[in-house]
Amino acid sequence: MNLREFNRILRQTLFLPVLLLLVLAGFIIWQISRSSAELRWIDHSDDVMEQTIRLEKLVLDQETGLRGYQLTGDNSMLAPYKAATVPIAKRFTILRDLVSDNPTQMGHLANVRDRYQIWLGYAQGVLNKDPAVVSDPRMNEHEKELMDNLRSEVNAMLMTEGHLRKQRAETALYIERRELAAVLVSSLVVGVLLAIFTHSRLRRVSATYDATLEELTNRSEEIYERRQWFQTTLESIGDAVIACDGDGNVEFMNAVAQELTGWTMQEALGRPLNEVFHIVNEETRQVVENPVDKVRRLQTVVGLANHTALISRKGKEYVIDDSAAPIRKEGGEIRGIVLVFRDVTEARRSEAALIAAEKLAVAGRLAASIAHEIHNPLDSVANVHFLLENETDPVKRKEYLRMAQQELSRTMQISRTLLSLYREPKAPIPVDLKELAEGVLLLLDRRVVQQGVTIERQFTEPCVVEGFPAELRQVFTNVFLNAMEAAGKGGRIRIRIQPVAAAELRPAGAMVEVVDSGPGISEQVTGNLFQPFFTTKGENGTGLGLWVSNGIVLKHGGSIRIANNDDGDLKGAYVRVYLPTRTMANSSTRTTAHVG
Amino acid sequence: MEAVTGPLILCIDDEALGLQIRKAVLEREGYRVLTALDGSSGLNLFTGEPVEGVILDYFMPGMDGGQVAIAMRRQRPEVPILLLSAYVNLPQEIVTMVDFTVLKGEGPKELLAKVRRMLGPPEESGMAP
Repeated sequence: MNLREFNRILRQTLFLPVLLLLVLAGFIIWQISRSSAELRWIDHSDDVMEQTIRLEKLVLDQETGLRGYQLTGDNSMLAPYKAATVPIAKRFTILRDLVSDNPTQMGHLANVRDRYQIWLGYAQGVLNKDPAVVSDPRMNEHEKELMDNLRSEVNAMLMTEGHLRKQRAETALYIERRELAAVLVSSLVVGVLLAIFTHSRLRRVSATYDATLEELTNRSEEIYERRQWFQTTLESIGDAVIACDGDGNVEFMNAVAQELTGWTMQEALGRPLNEVFHIVNEETRQVVENPVDKVRRLQTVVGLANHTALISRKGKEYVIDDSAAPIRKEGGEIRGIVLVFRDVTEARRSEAALIAAEKLAVAGRLAASIAHEIHNPLDSVANVHFLLENETDPVKRKEYLRMAQQELSRTMQISRTLLSLYREPKAPIPVDLKELAEGVLLLLDRRVVQQGVTIERQFTEPCVVEGFPAELRQVFTNVFLNAMEAAGKGGRIRIRIQPVAAAELRPAGAMVEVVDSGPGISEQVTGNLFQPFFTTKGENGTGLGLWVSNGIVLKHGGSIRIANNDDGDLKGAYVRVYLPTRTMANSSTRTTAHVG
Repeated sequence: MEAVTGPLILCIDDEALGLQIRKAVLEREGYRVLTALDGSSGLNLFTGEPVEGVILDYFMPGMDGGQVAIAMRRQRPEVPILLLSAYVNLPQEIVTMVDFTVLKGEGPKELLAKVRRMLGPPEESGMAP
């Protein structure tokens, strides 16, 4: 049942009883008015009787006064007689009005009046001292008779009215009883009707309530099932998931999150996140900002900084990668925060192994050049040795020794350059990119010769930035080798190193640009250049060179951009490596192993 | 030096010092030596001089040893060529085309032995006294 129907039923159960009761009240009022009409007739009879009695009394007063006058002859005795004259006339008028509806009583009243008039004639005779009246003793008898007639007529009138009153009282009583019965019956009927109606409405409400309850039960079961489904889904996610309420207290943790944090869901429930999710910087060991606070501050999805380590309750440490996102209500208000993270300890190790592998691959790519660089002077030294064995001329011997020395120092230089690929200071140091590029080119010299590549150097001034020289050498080696390979036999490469001024979003630094005369890069390749294991060189490449180089440059706070060079004489690709003067790299971010 | 009468060898290498030392070694053995620092000047000498054998470095700017060898074979295929290299993995087609290969670092004795096999001992050749 919906709310509207419920309200309709509610209105019905309110208005219908009120209506019925109003009808009942109307009926009762009607009955009462009927009964009071009957009672008014009784009052009417009472009035008639009272007026009749008062008339009789007034007539008696007149008679008494007249008799007193007769006996004493005193005029003062006539006062009652005279005083009653007007009231008697008035009584007659009132009574005439009262009994006008009843012919019987009208007749009685007319008789009374006639007899009173006769008596009044007699009384007038007395007052006028009519000798016929005064002196005749029989007149006394006559007067008595007149008065008795009057009285009997009054009595007859009273009797009739009394009889009428009795009849009326009986009728009123009967009506009263009937009314009571009617009221009782109608009340009973209304009561029963109301009971039936209310019962039916209640049954209706109850039925719909049951239906609603069932529907709600079904729905809650459905909601429960959906909840279970979501829960299972969350539980099944391979990443750790923690959901917090708006205040940052833990509301949910999946199995992976429980395993990584070392807290069970029951233990963690309601606790502040930073108590459960304890993260520090892997290197500095400083506590990292709680992602929940960060989300609330920034109102958006946030990722964790690199090198974040989660310390479990049992003290075990995991390198993690995570993101936190706000859970918003419909209005956009933050209702909670969901945190997703994963253990990347193994991945980090693999990454480190890949970086190491790439370092070896660079060495491998250089091996031929290095062999050449070392074998050439060695060959010369062996030759000199051969010459010295048979030479006696001291001047020539000295000359040969000088030659040998020269070749040996070249070997030393090569070996030093090679070592510097791997030797790394603990902290970033000022690096002259010009010198660095020259060193790399020295190692690549043979390769350059072999490929017949012409290298145009557009760097004369020293250009110093902070950084890790071995890592930067690795970047340069990769970039130069790629350019040489792209340029191909007889190709050209232009290397330009120049300082760049600070610009928007970029502090001052140095730009190393390497342009080749090769075919350029295709669009579909561009997006993948910095992905690990992406190579255009088939079996000759590891696909890690640019990935590692990019990592190194990013770490230094720089950037690598690769695109096709459209202007100028060289129509191949360009690689622009930007490095800031003040590096962002520090000892903790060094990827190259420290070598003695 | 008396060795001026030995076979004429053309030595091509971009390593000036190494080339100079190698020349001294060969001359001590009695060979006459012409030197060039790159492929194209080497080919000029090869065309203009009665070269009897060539000692050729593989890695050189401009033309590499392989290209130079091909050009020489086109001109005078009878002239033996010894390819000298510090690079261990020389292209197979070049190795089969030349007569001898010597790795830099194998030492002067090995080099001289191969030169002798290529041209014969210096005193027995051509314009012996």
